[in-house]
Amino acid sequence: MTCRDFEARADAYAEGRLSPREAAAFEAHLDRCAACGAALERAAGTPPGLTALARSIEPAEDLWPAIRGRLASLGQRPGRVAVPRWGLAAAALLLIAFSSGVTAVLLRPAPRTASATLDVSALEAQYAAVSEDLTGALEQARSRLDPATMATIERNLRIIDTALNETRQALANDPGNPALGQMVVAAWRQKVDLLRRATALGAES
Amino acid sequence: MRAFVLLAALLASTPLPAQEKVNRRIAIASDASIRIWNLAGITRIIGWDRDSIAVTGTVPSGAFYMGGSGTGAKLGVERPDGSKGDLPATLEIRVPRNARLWVKSASASIEVSGLTGEVECSSVDGAVRVEGSLRLVVAESMEGNLSVYGPMSVVRLKGGGGTITLRGARGDLMATTVGGAILLTDAALRRAHLETVSGPVAYDGTVAARGTLEVITHSGDVTLRLPTEISAEFDLSSFDGAILYGLSGKGKGKGEPTPQVGKPMSFTTGGGDARVTVRSFKGEIRVLKP
Repeated sequence: MTCRDFEARADAYAEGRLSPREAAAFEAHLDRCAACGAALERAAGTPPGLTALARSIEPAEDLWPAIRGRLASLGQRPGRVAVPRWGLAAAALLLIAFSSGVTAVLLRPAPRTASATLDVSALEAQYAAVSEDLTGALEQARSRLDPATMATIERNLRIIDTALNETRQALANDPGNPALGQMVVAAWRQKVDLLRRATALGAES
Repeated sequence: MRAFVLLAALLASTPLPAQEKVNRRIAIASDASIRIWNLAGITRIIGWDRDSIAVTGTVPSGAFYMGGSGTGAKLGVERPDGSKGDLPATLEIRVPRNARLWVKSASASIEVSGLTGEVECSSVDGAVRVEGSLRLVVAESMEGNLSVYGPMSVVRLKGGGGTITLRGARGDLMATTVGGAILLTDAALRRAHLETVSGPVAYDGTVAARGTLEVITHSGDVTLRLPTEISAEFDLSSFDGAILYGLSGKGKGKGEPTPQVGKPMSFTTGGGDARVTVRSFKGEIRVLKP
């Protein structure tokens, strides 16, 4: 894959429209081409190094506020941050991949190291911010989506929100329970993934 | 009665899109990438031992397109004037067995059989059914059922309210739903990650030696039917649901505790070759004999 191919496919990659083989080629190019990696980070509005998150299990710093800050500093209109559609989807994918990695590590029965401790609040902050932006994007796409599809999306979101509220409440009462932390992160991951899929449908309509 | 007559007259006067038969064929490489776009109706794809694509079916007049050669092709149905709206079509598409497919649907059902290559299916509320022995199956539907029958190498499924069903699953599986159930029979997976929010999970089969089975659910019940002689480390946890362990005493592991609500269970059967992890918030977890 050339750098030009990479650029042409970035949108489709972020929306999950590449075939598995194309996605693998895209990621392989990303791994070996620093220029494209930097361009992707710039376009997605992510700080340097975020594209490496999926290869790491270290809990992330609170990245999204920094992303928001950078985007805001680029002269976007105040109040609502205008994230590029595919940049938003890319951020969601990276976050999902990262938290899936953390969850996978925590599901292992081996002795847990300090580095594998799940920082739920930091992950929640990122998920909440991405979720908010994806919800805004979905609202913009509402008129393009079939009402029945929109009803399906909203029904699934209500199921997830109920689960999220219950697990968050339980975690608040028992903050040291790692299993509850995993459940909270799993619910957030489901919500962001559903919103990402829903906004992709809106973009296609 | 008057309203009925008016409605009948209105329906009779509404022009339905004219349908036409399609019968097209092109030569293509045996491992070609093929993109198929049919939003409503039925898309039936069958693998065959020829280096060509053959399409038959019924489509709205002028809406079918097909092109490509060598290693790539695309075909499908879309409004000739480019306007919005799904046109129902029935397509039966024969492709080389080793092809790599990308199939898009909105409400159309997608049926795939006889392939050994790769398929990626995306639908809004149509059902997706894949049978055979493929290297890779990726399928996603917001509301439709996803069914995968046969020993695929790698399977990635994302549902919503529909049911995910797998029979004879092997290899590597990731399946997630929101409210839909995840049901597996005759499973012997090397790696499985199953995740639902409120849907139940039922796993009937075994886990390969050194394999892993992970289940995460919020409120769905989890039922694992496993061989009594399974050699595995178990790590079961339900915050507000019961855990029932019903494997026979023969395979009973050391230190197996008495099941209780809200108390995690960790124990080993046999040599502990495989690993079984279940996390639930308030669903019941049952580990039972086949």
